[in-house]
Amino acid sequence: MAKKRPATTPRKPKVKLTPRDKKTMARLTGLADRVVTAANARRDPYVDIPSRTLSNIHYSPRKRILEMGNNKNRRQLFDLSQAKAYMRTVLVASGCKQLLDQGKTTSLRGLYYMLKHTIDGAKENTFDEQNECDTIIEDVEVLLNSIREELHLYAENRGAMVGNITLRDRGDVIDCSRMGSGGYAIPSIVEPEVIELSRKKCDAKFILHVEKGTVWQRFNEDKFWEKHNCILTHGAGQPPRGVRRMLHRLHNELKLPIYCVLDNDPWGYYIYSVLKQGSINLAFESQRMAVPDAKYLGLRSIDFERCDLSDSVKIALNDNDKKRAKQIAKYPWFEKKRKWQSEIQRMLKNDFKLEVESLISKDISYVTEVYVPERLEAQDWLD
Amino acid sequence: MATAKRKKKAPLKKKKPGSTKKRAASSTAASNGAAPKRRTTAKAMAASQRDISVSEFFAKNRHLLGFDNPRKALLTTVKEAVDNSLDACEEAGILPEIWVHIQQTSNDRYKVGIQDNGPGILKKQIPLIFGKLLYGSKFHRLRQSRGQQGIGISAAGMYGVQTTGKPVKIISKVSVRKPSHYYEIQIDTKKNQPKILNGKGDGVDIPPGDKGTKYIEKHGIEWVDQPHGTRVTIELQAKFVRGRGSVGEYLEQTAIANPHVTLHFLDSDDYEYDYLRSTNALPKEPKEIKPHPYGIELGRLATILEDSERMSLSEFFRTKFSRVTPAVAKRICQTAGVSTRSNTGKVGRSEVDALYQAIQKTKISNPSTDCICPIGEDLILKGLHHVVPAEFYTAATRPPAVYRGNPFQIEVGLAYGGSAPTQNVTKDLLNELLEETDARTIRQFLIHTFNGLGSESADKIIKAAALGTRQAPGKLKPSGVEKLFSAMRNVNISDGQSMEVMRYANRVPLQFQQAACAVTQMVVGTNWRSYGLGQSRGSLPRGPVSLMVHVASVWVPFTSESKEAIANYPEIQKEIRLGLQAVGRKLGMYLRRRLRVKQQSDRREVFLRYLKEVSTAVSEINGAKQAELYEQLVKVAKRRTAEADVKLDDRGRPMEEKPAEMNLGDNVLIVDPSTHAAAINRASSSEDEPEE
Repeated sequence: MAKKRPATTPRKPKVKLTPRDKKTMARLTGLADRVVTAANARRDPYVDIPSRTLSNIHYSPRKRILEMGNNKNRRQLFDLSQAKAYMRTVLVASGCKQLLDQGKTTSLRGLYYMLKHTIDGAKENTFDEQNECDTIIEDVEVLLNSIREELHLYAENRGAMVGNITLRDRGDVIDCSRMGSGGYAIPSIVEPEVIELSRKKCDAKFILHVEKGTVWQRFNEDKFWEKHNCILTHGAGQPPRGVRRMLHRLHNELKLPIYCVLDNDPWGYYIYSVLKQGSINLAFESQRMAVPDAKYLGLRSIDFERCDLSDSVKIALNDNDKKRAKQIAKYPWFEKKRKWQSEIQRMLKNDFKLEVESLISKDISYVTEVYVPERLEAQDWLD
Repeated sequence: MATAKRKKKAPLKKKKPGSTKKRAASSTAASNGAAPKRRTTAKAMAASQRDISVSEFFAKNRHLLGFDNPRKALLTTVKEAVDNSLDACEEAGILPEIWVHIQQTSNDRYKVGIQDNGPGILKKQIPLIFGKLLYGSKFHRLRQSRGQQGIGISAAGMYGVQTTGKPVKIISKVSVRKPSHYYEIQIDTKKNQPKILNGKGDGVDIPPGDKGTKYIEKHGIEWVDQPHGTRVTIELQAKFVRGRGSVGEYLEQTAIANPHVTLHFLDSDDYEYDYLRSTNALPKEPKEIKPHPYGIELGRLATILEDSERMSLSEFFRTKFSRVTPAVAKRICQTAGVSTRSNTGKVGRSEVDALYQAIQKTKISNPSTDCICPIGEDLILKGLHHVVPAEFYTAATRPPAVYRGNPFQIEVGLAYGGSAPTQNVTKDLLNELLEETDARTIRQFLIHTFNGLGSESADKIIKAAALGTRQAPGKLKPSGVEKLFSAMRNVNISDGQSMEVMRYANRVPLQFQQAACAVTQMVVGTNWRSYGLGQSRGSLPRGPVSLMVHVASVWVPFTSESKEAIANYPEIQKEIRLGLQAVGRKLGMYLRRRLRVKQQSDRREVFLRYLKEVSTAVSEINGAKQAELYEQLVKVAKRRTAEADVKLDDRGRPMEEKPAEMNLGDNVLIVDPSTHAAAINRASSSEDEPEE
């Protein structure tokens, strides 16, 4: 890979950089310049990377999102345990520089292959697994204070949406009410340069976000979004950045409220928490992605009795679930909410969890025709 | 045995019908009131009741003596003969040199010849020693020796005669000037008596000098010419194997624990192995001691009392036992309520019991321990170094201790081998070795040339080299040699290796029943992780380690007659544990230091490896000159690591670069494994040895 690169680069015409790219490029060059300066001064080259751990995250009650603290981890070239990580950091930076130069974007996996090669004179690869590369990319993001999109990187498309909205994606007009059964796949990069939203082209009144594709299919097939005039999204489990950013933009730019239908288990609670406050690992992006006003519609731990479900749909909590639930109850953003505390306590008391699909045991369309409309009608949700 | 059982059962049968009311009722109900019919009478039974000879008993129960299967029979035969030879040489004060020849005569028959340079045996003793079970000098004395009962070699002869019908051949020479004696013997199992076949039942005397040499040649008698010595040749049903529990392994282990012995071993495939002595010092002669009162059982006490000439009890205790002073004897008698002056002939059964109880209650000082002669730390190191290729050796001899009144002593030796011999060979040497070898296949070549390389590892190497298993080493093309060479370099054969434990009792290697042995149990029970070796729970530690544990005692407690495992006495366990910990600590020190030294050199290497990548990446981003930046970074790296080197030494001195120069205290030997002589078997080195 490395050897081929010089042969292909010169043929490409220089691409004109956007103002945003220029800013990123300046940061990349700054990183490289610091290495040269340090080497000339016979000093240790190092980078200070903001720490992405729980201890460096705090919850801002005013903004109601997770924010990153000021702790930094120093990564030195001349430290036995950090030398390889340092080398990888510089390598990822140079990879991003090439992408910017050529005006192209690539997937995380693409960059991994772009940079993966055997180190000269050693039986060692720069990267052995993609996840080794992914964490370094996140490091570079926080180090340069440039998000992934600005580094011309994207992840695999995950999550989909349908609904009464029309948007422009790289100039193409997408009518999300005419997406058939598959829906519009939410791209990984949904920045204004790529996706244009307009208030005038949106009739939907709210967004219903469901946990996974199967449930989403149910709602789409029953044309729930048509009947209730809304946008229907899913994030295939823990929603990727694209979906979260899209929800954030829809909520803030089009002023649409968001309601979530998730499983009644610690995992479902955590998905809600990430949508609402942001995640620990990506706390530096909470500002751009978290939707503090998102509401939790269901499933609730009282639903087993409220909806009169049969015993067979119960799934017993395992030790891990219980531990996780107790952890979630202690999160500062749940701690002061009595409704949430009683919700989690109730689940622990039930000693079972419920999936959204369990409602199908009542009737195939129970969830779309009865459950969600009733909750919305009664404004019965958790905040 | 069978008759004895019948004897016991007979009176029981008589009692049975009327023994209890309940049973009587049920039996009458079953047989309608008639008593069962007698099958035989006491008189008729008496006709078949007779004496059993020891040899008959052992002929039927040969597994008790280690002849359970053909493979083990071969080993036991060699072992008994070698043990006897060593005992004889040491007792006579001769540096032992022993020849072991194994030759296949037909599919499952082997001829085994063992010769020593010992003092020889007097003519009239030869048939008794080799043709009569339980005839020997070692049973009645309490002294450290290899053999104990006097069964071994005659049992081997008996096994040979039984399985092949060929007689045992013995030739023995006492001195150059005297004639040597040649016997062909069979055991008469019924009488437990030797039956001499040659020379009209009298054996043959071979005159000294040239005449005798001619006679030996003419009659095809096997004999390596020696001024004195004995050779026994037995043909037996056997199976020759290599590896675990083989003759080769036994001889190798014998060489480790007996560095004063020279061994020549010619196996059935005509491979010759030579273990030359690494010291000329004979072990100190062990002293015979009297039994200690604590080590004696009630029955034995009674027998000694009976056998003893008439004397007072006080004198009896003082003269027949060790560590009994008049005061102690008095205390024993007082506790037992017997007068010190009562005569030994008049002590009754109940008094003997009281005396026995009294002995247990009386405090008697431990027996003297100078009757034990350990191998010694120096010689263990020498022996290990001579035979086991490794880079680190250490040994520990524990002070003597006592179990049940028997003194014993534990010694532990450990060899830690870094890289395997295959990895240290240069290409030129490999070419030479390939030329020299007479092995038919590459696999055989690898196994025989490189000591300690098992068949599994050889297969791994051949697989990695992508060569055919049946390929002849002589016909290997240069490209094939190249492949073999790089495979030998790269295959990590110590992967998955676990510790090799060699157990010894009075310098004799123990090879079977490993799991039942106190030594193995203690090795497994020791936490080797704290000494830098990997170990899963309840198993031997991993790594290229050989461990030897020697238990020396006037009476080694075996779990069974076949002398394969040492019994678990708490005192012995404790000493073994302490010994293992002593060598473990040294190993731990060595491994930690070596690791630190290795880290130093790794350090610089790691930095240098990444600098090129870093400088290339940086120059791609900001267009800085790659070569220049690289040079700068290398300079920083060198300065950095130089500082770190000094910092890491705990005494503020620059680190020793070579592991061989470490100072780890006494009883440690560190060598450069690449120059190890024992690692490679060379065909040329054995050419000058006399062959038959």
